Amino acid sequence: MIDTVALNPDRHVPGARRHPRAADTLHAEWLKFWSVRSTGWSTAMLFVLGAGLTTLVCATSAAWLASGEADESPASFITWGLFFAQITALALGTLIVTSEYGTGMIRATLSATPRRGAVLAAKAAVLTGTLLVAGVVTAFAGYLGGNWFLDREGIGIALSDDGVLRSMLGSGLYLAGLGLFAMAIGLLVRHTAAALSIGLALVFVVGNMAFLLPGTWGEWVAKLLPGNAGSGVATPVSFNPELLAPWTGFAVFTAEVAALLLAGWLVFRHRDA
Amino acid sequence: MIVARGLTKTFGPKLAVDDLSFTVEPGRVTGFLGPNGAGKSTTMRMVLGLDRPTAGSVTVNGHSYADSAAPLREVGALLEARALHPGRTARNHLRWLAASNGIPRTRIDEVLDLVGLDAVADQRVGRFSLGMGQRLGIAVALLGEPPVVVLDEPVNGLDPEGIRWVRTLARELAGQGRTVLVSSHLMSEMALTADHLLVVGRGRMLADCSMAEFIADHAASHVRVRSPRTGDVEALLRGRGLEVDRQGAELRVQGLDAAGIGELVGGAGLLLHELTLVQSSLEEAFMTLTADSVEYSTHPAPQEAQATR
Ligand SMILES: Nc1ncnc2c1ncn2[C@@H]1O[C@H](COP(=O)(O)OP(=O)(O)O)[C@@H](O)[C@H]1O
Ligand SMILES: [Mg+2]
Repeated sequence: MIDTVALNPDRHVPGARRHPRAADTLHAEWLKFWSVRSTGWSTAMLFVLGAGLTTLVCATSAAWLASGEADESPASFITWGLFFAQITALALGTLIVTSEYGTGMIRATLSATPRRGAVLAAKAAVLTGTLLVAGVVTAFAGYLGGNWFLDREGIGIALSDDGVLRSMLGSGLYLAGLGLFAMAIGLLVRHTAAALSIGLALVFVVGNMAFLLPGTWGEWVAKLLPGNAGSGVATPVSFNPELLAPWTGFAVFTAEVAALLLAGWLVFRHRDA
Repeated sequence: MIVARGLTKTFGPKLAVDDLSFTVEPGRVTGFLGPNGAGKSTTMRMVLGLDRPTAGSVTVNGHSYADSAAPLREVGALLEARALHPGRTARNHLRWLAASNGIPRTRIDEVLDLVGLDAVADQRVGRFSLGMGQRLGIAVALLGEPPVVVLDEPVNGLDPEGIRWVRTLARELAGQGRTVLVSSHLMSEMALTADHLLVVGRGRMLADCSMAEFIADHAASHVRVRSPRTGDVEALLRGRGLEVDRQGAELRVQGLDAAGIGELVGGAGLLLHELTLVQSSLEEAFMTLTADSVEYSTHPAPQEAQATR
C-alpha cells in the first residue's frame, strides 16, 4: 500500500504561507507587469511625450503667447504633451489584458488565481497605481520644463494659480482612467490590435469628429464622449470652451469607465480561458 | 484525487467532451489516452476551472478547483498550449507564479534545477525550443510541490532523453503517493508510463481500466493453425466450442492456447504444419478501439489529384 501524500500544502513547500492573500495576487501582477520590456518602454514614452512635448510647445510658443496677439491662455499649454501621453496609457491598459490572451498566459494566471475578481482587481490596481504616479510626475516635469520658457517671457504660471495643481493631479487621474478604459476594452475584445484600435479611435477620432455633429444633441454627445469628458481635469484652462467643467467631466468619465469595466468583468467572469 | 461526474462540454454545435465520469486515484500514474481531438485537453482545462463544463462537474481533492485556497500547492498543471509570455525570462515567469501562491523564492531555483533549466533561467522564453518550453511548464507544475499533478502531452517536443526523464518523473511522483494524470495520443508512450488507463474517443470514455486489464481485454491474441487438412481441423476445433476464423489456408483460433490446440489436433490424428501464438500490439489494440472515433483520419489521395500533379 502506497502512502498517500497528505493534502496539507504547507508540508511540501517549507516556508509557504497557508493562504495566499489579495496582497499576493497584487504582488504577482506587479511582477508580471514589470517583467516585460513593453511596460518600461511605454512608461518611458509616456514621460518623454508628456513632459517633453509640453516643454517643447512652451519653448516655441512662449514669445507668441507673451506678445498679446495670442488668443489662448498660457495655462492651456502647460499640460499639452498629455494629449500624446494618452496613447501610451491606452497601450498599457490594453496590453495588461490582451497580452495574456495573445500568449495563452491567461491560463497560467487563472490557474494560479482562480478567483477572477481578484485577478481583475489586482490588474486594475497595478495599472491605476502606475499611471497615476507616471501621470502626476510627467505633468510636474512638463510644468517645470515648460514654465521655465514661459517665465523667461514673463508669463510664468504659479502652482497656486487657478487649476494648475488640479491639472497636475488630474493628469494622473485621467491617464489612470484611460488605462482602465483600455483594459475594459481589452477584456471585451481580447485581441491587442483590435482593442487598441478601438481605444485610439474612440479617444482621438470619434472624440474630435463628434464636435462636428449638428445641434445641441450633437454637442452633448461630443461633451460626453470619454476622452472629451475626462481630459478637462488635466488642463488648467482647456483649449476647447465647449467641454464640461473639469470635475463634472471627470465624474462622467469615471462613470463611463466603471460601466465599461463592469461589462468587461461580466464577460470575463464566466468565459472559457 | 480527481473526480469527474457526467462531465460534458460543447463548443457551439461541437460536442468536445461527452458525459465523462472517472476517478483519478493517488499513488499511480493514470494515462489519459485518445486520438487528437478526443477531448483530453478540454477535459483538463475543465479540471483546472479554466473552461466551464456545459454539464456535469469535476472536483480536485473533494472541491472544485476554483475553491482551492492555494491552487498551485494543491494541483500542478502543464497545459497543452504554451502559457508563457515570450518576453519574460524563465525565472521571472516562476517568480510571479510563486508570489501568487505564497511560495518562497528558494523553491524557484529548486525547480529550475530539477528540470535542467538553471543555465538558461535568465533568458527570455521566446528563445526557448519547444522542449525547453515543456521543461519550464513542468517546472511550473512542480513549483508548489502539489499532491495532484496534471500533465497534458508532456513529451511533446522533447528529445528521447527528455521523454525518458518525463516518464521517470511521472512514475516517481506517483511513487510518492501523488495523483498523476498524464495525457497522450500515443499508446506506446502510455504503455511504459501508466498503471491505469482512461481511453477517450470523440469525447466519450472507451475504456477505464488498469493497464493489465487493457492488455488482456484489447490486445487480442489468436493461434494461427495451418494443416494439410484444414477443413477437418476447423470442424474439430469448432466442435470443441472454440472460435475459428478461416482465412484461406490459415485458421485463426481463439479460446485455447497453442499447447491445448496442438494436443487436440494431435489427439485426433491430424497433421499440423504451423501452430503460432499471434498477439496484436497495444498500438493496434488502441487503434482498433478508437477506429470509429478518430476525428482526423487520413485518406489515400484520390487518383485524379495525383494525376494532375
Ligand atoms: N476553444 C475551443 N473552441 C472550439 N472548439 C474547440 C475548442 N477547444 C477544443 N475544441 C474542439 O474540441 C475537440 C476536442 O479538443 P481537445 O480537447 O483539444 O482534444 P485533444 O486534447 O484530445 O486533442 C476538438 O474537436 C477541438 O477542435
Ligand atoms: Mg490536446
